[in-house]
Amino acid sequence: MTDALTIRGLSKTFGGKVAVDNLSLSVRAGELYALLGPNGAGKTTTLRMVAGLLKPNSGDIEVFGRNVLADPAAAKQIIAWAPDEPMLYDRLTPLEYLDFVAGLWGVDPKVSAPRAEELLRWLGLWDNRAERCEGFSRGMKQKTALAGALIHDPQLLILDEPLTGLDAAVARQVKDLLQERVKGGATVILTTHILEVAERMADRIGIIQNGRLVADGTLDELRARSGEGRATLEDVFLDLVGAEGAAA
Amino acid sequence: MIAAPGSALWLLRHELRLSWRGMLQKRSRGRGKFARIWLTIALPLILLVTAGLPIALGVRHRQVPIIPVANLIAAAALIMLFTLMLSQTLAAAVDALYERADFDLLFSSPLAPRKVLIVRFLAVAVGAFSIFGMVLTPIILPSAIWGHPGWLAAIVVLFCIALAASGVGLLLAAGLFRLIGPRRTRTVGQVLAAVIGAAFFLIAQARNILGGTKTASVAAVVMQFSREPRFQSPALSWPLRALLGEPLPLLAAIGIGGGVFLIANQLLGAHFAADAAAAAGAGASPARRTKAGGRVRFAASPFSATLAKELRLILRDPALIAQVLLRVLYMIPLGFILLRQAGQGHSLVLPGSAAALSLVASQVSGSLAWITISAEDAPDLLSCAPTPTRTIRQAKIAAAILPVAAMLVPVLLPLYVLAPMVALAATLGCAASMTMASLLNVWWQRPGKRSDMRRARSPSWFVTLAEVLLGLLIAAATALLAAGLFGWALIPAALALAGVLMLSRTDAQIAQALRAAS
Repeated sequence: MTDALTIRGLSKTFGGKVAVDNLSLSVRAGELYALLGPNGAGKTTTLRMVAGLLKPNSGDIEVFGRNVLADPAAAKQIIAWAPDEPMLYDRLTPLEYLDFVAGLWGVDPKVSAPRAEELLRWLGLWDNRAERCEGFSRGMKQKTALAGALIHDPQLLILDEPLTGLDAAVARQVKDLLQERVKGGATVILTTHILEVAERMADRIGIIQNGRLVADGTLDELRARSGEGRATLEDVFLDLVGAEGAAA
Repeated sequence: MIAAPGSALWLLRHELRLSWRGMLQKRSRGRGKFARIWLTIALPLILLVTAGLPIALGVRHRQVPIIPVANLIAAAALIMLFTLMLSQTLAAAVDALYERADFDLLFSSPLAPRKVLIVRFLAVAVGAFSIFGMVLTPIILPSAIWGHPGWLAAIVVLFCIALAASGVGLLLAAGLFRLIGPRRTRTVGQVLAAVIGAAFFLIAQARNILGGTKTASVAAVVMQFSREPRFQSPALSWPLRALLGEPLPLLAAIGIGGGVFLIANQLLGAHFAADAAAAAGAGASPARRTKAGGRVRFAASPFSATLAKELRLILRDPALIAQVLLRVLYMIPLGFILLRQAGQGHSLVLPGSAAALSLVASQVSGSLAWITISAEDAPDLLSCAPTPTRTIRQAKIAAAILPVAAMLVPVLLPLYVLAPMVALAATLGCAASMTMASLLNVWWQRPGKRSDMRRARSPSWFVTLAEVLLGLLIAAATALLAAGLFGWALIPAALALAGVLMLSRTDAQIAQALRAAS
């Protein structure tokens, strides 16, 4: 299977503090990959480097064979990045926001306009399409941002804590949407602190601590590695990062 | 003096501390210590030495004559002060409703709501008084010490005006609230405050706007009025008498100021808590729909998408519109001067006005450029898009320049008919100054929030100074070009160009500065 993402020897420091330490991992095309780790483990920093928002001190990143560092524009064309805090404009409506994002990715209006309608309808935001985002709830904002991430039909979707602060109904909607995209051939990488989500949704799971990958594989492979055959992901996670690391 | 926790005095101290810190933040641009020293020591000292002491020495053995001209001047000065304070108190009242998110905390405490409200209203009055008080006190104090103790009453009168302005401002805000709803009150309140603030300037410029034949100078008007019998009524001398400390007029001033304040409190007290609660919920309401309804014409390129987004955000930002409107108001008299002088063929005034127009254009476009470039709400979204930074920047600069250009068209187009050479010089000057201001904002950008627009927008005093100096050089070149002195115009133009080039930064330098700032 082709790799959607290949990271080799990635390192990033902030003023002497090591955030990512010689990290290497790969994510296969068409899978949903969950990147887990305690607070400050380096998950978001890693994903921000993949999205082209941060430059690493060393290492290499390839997205579907396109080098993120050498040709960022080509890589960005097929990536979508959705951080935990939605990147929205309060004074724009969802439709205007999608128009803007589609324009940034150079999507033909003949394609983006119907796609925007489809996404907003799918996410239950069509009736709110003419309202400014400033009055939206957290869930509505998150869904709008997600629609923005999908408007250019990315091959690799990177989501940082996509379910934080969402109620059960919206969280289900987002999970369904992500699984739908994976079925459609897209690759999804997400970080989450809700281990049940990773357990149920992810094809493979990576666990990162102190900027290093401590384990990587399917849930069964992780169980085997921790030596607990029927353990939950939470047990495996705590076993691998240690209780102190998990509480960080 | 230690006020008991929960007392009105204790609450007032809390309010004033917040106001003081807000004022320091507004003036300091992050240099709190400098602002504190400037406001509490340097400014009063400068005023004391340059104005207070010379005035005190000059008037030591003189009395202010109670004559119609003096009465009119005193009354006009008090009206002007009231107007200026009203613009502050109206904005502060809107802030009290919208910006401060502590009503839930205060009203859920065991403090009486009435006490909370009256203290907050009083803080609005003290806030309006403090700025003018800080200026007036060092000027009056030496005269009061040397022979005119009664003049201290001017400070009391000033506070009474602040009380009245606070009452009227709060009534206006509450009236707007009832009339047009919570959200529009914020917009209209901010714009109205800006317009009221500029009203005195516009009145002073009436001669330029209406023309010399229609109005006389302010001094001439005052002299003329003072000779009319209706302006010689003894009642008209009361403002001046109050300022000089005569007991009865002073008591009247206290009665009027305190009365207006108390009436406003009485009228608003019952509704204010409900209004504040409604205003707090206004932001969360999902019912704010755009005029375009559900129709959006999708952009065909990153440039047009970014331009459309920036223009939409500018047009939907009431605080920004209020700020820009205030600066545009200063353009109005300039425009009238230009057109009238062009029509009359006054060649000397024209170049100066063309230069001033270019200076104002650079100021307005500089503000808009700061908003579009530095106050980007979703910088990560732009960074992770495959669009070149250059394209996004160009769209943002275009968004900063286009609204100003649109405002200049009604002045420049008729000018092309009346005085083509001046119009050409003004067009070139405005274009150059707007480009300069926008480029400086690109090269020296520093991320900030849109709401910071009300505070200082420039990253440093150095850039602010550079923007003003370069603006002046371009204005000088514009004036010389408009006067037909092409060769001479090249000198300031070349200096401005050299300055712009010296301040330029590469993309890598900008990125490095942004990383350092974050």
